[in-house]
Amino acid sequence: MLGPLALALALALASPPAPPPADPAYLGELVAKARALRLAEDPGWLKLGHWRPRPLGGWKSEADGAKFFRARDGKTDPAAELEATLAGFLDATPRADELDDAQCRFPARFAFLGGRLGFDLARLPPRRCPRFEDFYGKIRPQGVTVVFSSYYLNNPASAFGHTLLRLDKAPEAIGGKHFELLDYGVDYAATVDTGNAVLYAAKGLLGFFKGEFKYYPYYYKVREYGDYESRDLWEYDLELTPGEVALLGAHVWELGGTWFDYWYLDENCSYHVLGALEAAAPRLDLLSHVGRAVVLPSDTVVALFRNPGLVRRVHYRPSIRTQFEARARRLSGAELREVEALSRDPAAPLDPATPPDAEAKVLDAAVDLLDLRHARELIRGLGPKAAQDRQALLERRAALGVASAPLALPVPEARRPERGHGSLRLGLGGGAVDGQGGTVLLDLRLALHDLGDPPEGYPPTAQIEFLPTRLRWTPRERRVDLDDVALVRIVSLSPVTRFDARPSWKASFGAATVRDRGCDRCVAFASELGGGLAAALPGGLDLAATGDLELRASPRLSGAGGTGWRPGIGPSALARLRLGSRAVLLADARWRWLPEAAPRTTWSWGGALRLHLARDLSLAFEGRRQPLATEAAALVLGYF
Amino acid sequence: MTRITLALVAALLAVPAAAADQTASAIKGTGRYGTAGCGLGSMAFGSTPGAVQILAATTNGTFGNQTFGITTGTSNCGSGVFAAGTKNFVDANREALAKDISRGEGEAIGALTVINACENSHAVGAALQKNFKSIFPSESASNDDVTKAILDTLHGDAALGCGRS
Repeated sequence: MLGPLALALALALASPPAPPPADPAYLGELVAKARALRLAEDPGWLKLGHWRPRPLGGWKSEADGAKFFRARDGKTDPAAELEATLAGFLDATPRADELDDAQCRFPARFAFLGGRLGFDLARLPPRRCPRFEDFYGKIRPQGVTVVFSSYYLNNPASAFGHTLLRLDKAPEAIGGKHFELLDYGVDYAATVDTGNAVLYAAKGLLGFFKGEFKYYPYYYKVREYGDYESRDLWEYDLELTPGEVALLGAHVWELGGTWFDYWYLDENCSYHVLGALEAAAPRLDLLSHVGRAVVLPSDTVVALFRNPGLVRRVHYRPSIRTQFEARARRLSGAELREVEALSRDPAAPLDPATPPDAEAKVLDAAVDLLDLRHARELIRGLGPKAAQDRQALLERRAALGVASAPLALPVPEARRPERGHGSLRLGLGGGAVDGQGGTVLLDLRLALHDLGDPPEGYPPTAQIEFLPTRLRWTPRERRVDLDDVALVRIVSLSPVTRFDARPSWKASFGAATVRDRGCDRCVAFASELGGGLAAALPGGLDLAATGDLELRASPRLSGAGGTGWRPGIGPSALARLRLGSRAVLLADARWRWLPEAAPRTTWSWGGALRLHLARDLSLAFEGRRQPLATEAAALVLGYF
Repeated sequence: MTRITLALVAALLAVPAAAADQTASAIKGTGRYGTAGCGLGSMAFGSTPGAVQILAATTNGTFGNQTFGITTGTSNCGSGVFAAGTKNFVDANREALAKDISRGEGEAIGALTVINACENSHAVGAALQKNFKSIFPSESASNDDVTKAILDTLHGDAALGCGRS
């Protein structure tokens, strides 16, 4: 064991600005005790520093901000960092910026080490930390909730959902809802510095964005997600001890002062929210339950449920769209016509025989409809007509002088994100192509959901896929084709109703094997964008029709004017029939005009039946006809 | 390549990027996040430093209600704090607040009740609803005026018991 002097010397070498500690003897005692307890190998310490084992041994912290470490090589040396942190706690040098002081910058480390080593506070220099105390006084955590914001296809960053933490001022949400608006939300997000979609995707996938923890009143998130983006929020209250809650609040402060390389696929919001929870409660086993290649926000929720008893209660916070739909369901046909009339003319007359309570219901629905249609104009002040109409409706509503009954919606159990199928899909099957003989098909998809997958836990009319890939092996011809692959493929259907005529749209970006006379089964870059309308008919039938633009490109393709570029334009149609929750029938057809290319047109149509045997196991039967291929196949699909 | 081909290619590649940042900054308005008002969670740390408080909380769990008496609105409150908390809330929640006040009920009214340390959100909702036209005289009334009218309503009516618990 080293003597105190040698220790002090070692520490002075390890941490550059190290003036003599207030009580060198005490530092020696603490370091000796920490070594005896092997505290640097304790999961609690390793998780507070976000150190992860490296593949070839040793440790490396995921934190990338230099100030997160007191020791020069603290990023890769948890033991050196522990001892440098202890030295910092004992360092009484006055600091102009409290963040240069270890006690003020690392209150969670202080709590962890102090608890394990039994700090004698009388032998430590007393430190006031006004900024930390102000922060902690604001968040004042008594409970912790994980919030899942559902899928939002109109923003690529949110297509897969989002996860954040809420630090609750009460251990239990009071009355189910009333006071959470005043809690603080904490989330981890990329600091995005480009508006260019291609750059965004490239930088996000390759870890070029900085990710940072930020905090704000929770009401910002409710307004942003619930009102302006119309996304339902799922809130999971956690069963944590008061000590774990306090440690999380203090650790969030530590995280707020650093940054991480943001990786869109794995080290993203969901991953770091779980990492912060594990740091505060090392007994939890969360990160081991999320995928290695891709971590999705819904995986966060699944990981919570893998720790029995951790989720104490689930709350559902309906978006403005869900609220309006609930209000509309309670109205008669005549009242719905009044809502429609009011949304156009706020002074539209109502049936004079209507009692005030019923009139209030009609007016409440009309205001929600206006908010739903004009959310962005209203918040950005761009819709003077909408704002005037809204004001008139609100005045009319207030003048009734009756209180609306709270809108109590049942939790839509079938939509709970943790009930969804696994996001990674693997498929294996076989079939035949007319004239080419038998085929073996291999299907792989990194994430997330298509219109034929088991419906539980996912939005009913959305398809969001990341890296769907299909390979076809034709033994008789001894060839393997990359049938189809996409970086991303999205189908967003918005069934038209009397109140909602938003367009439906789809987009994909990838490559596919051409199966018409443009080339002999060459693999071509393939991208597509389409817009149109969808309808949801009774009996579980959804129909959509879109007008599409597409582009195929390959050196072997006889495209426009003899080049390898082949743009196309034309209609497509899609139908889906859900037979209960265990079976679904899909059919689609498309036709394309290919200007100045040979051939001048192409087309494709096909159908599929999916049978969901279990949540994570399905059978697929498919058929497709294209100018040069008629194919039938059957696959087993597993979800992981 | 012909012009039509180029146009189609350009249309395909120009997928619009996210506009989320604009919305987020619009919501945040001035960018001033909520100050520590009564209801927004002020808490005095007393004579013990912050880091030591966290240590105490994680070792014996005495941190919290006993130490700080953080029942709603009772610590460090004063009329200036009510005004700051209310103004911050109005800045970020104006549309939702106007809607809830017109209905005499809702989450935003619950939050105002807490911020202003009032006794009963039903009574607060009824009082605000009655005064809707003076609080929101037009869609272009300033947030300052809206805040002042709310404070006048809440603190002008002793029966609501605001800021005196």
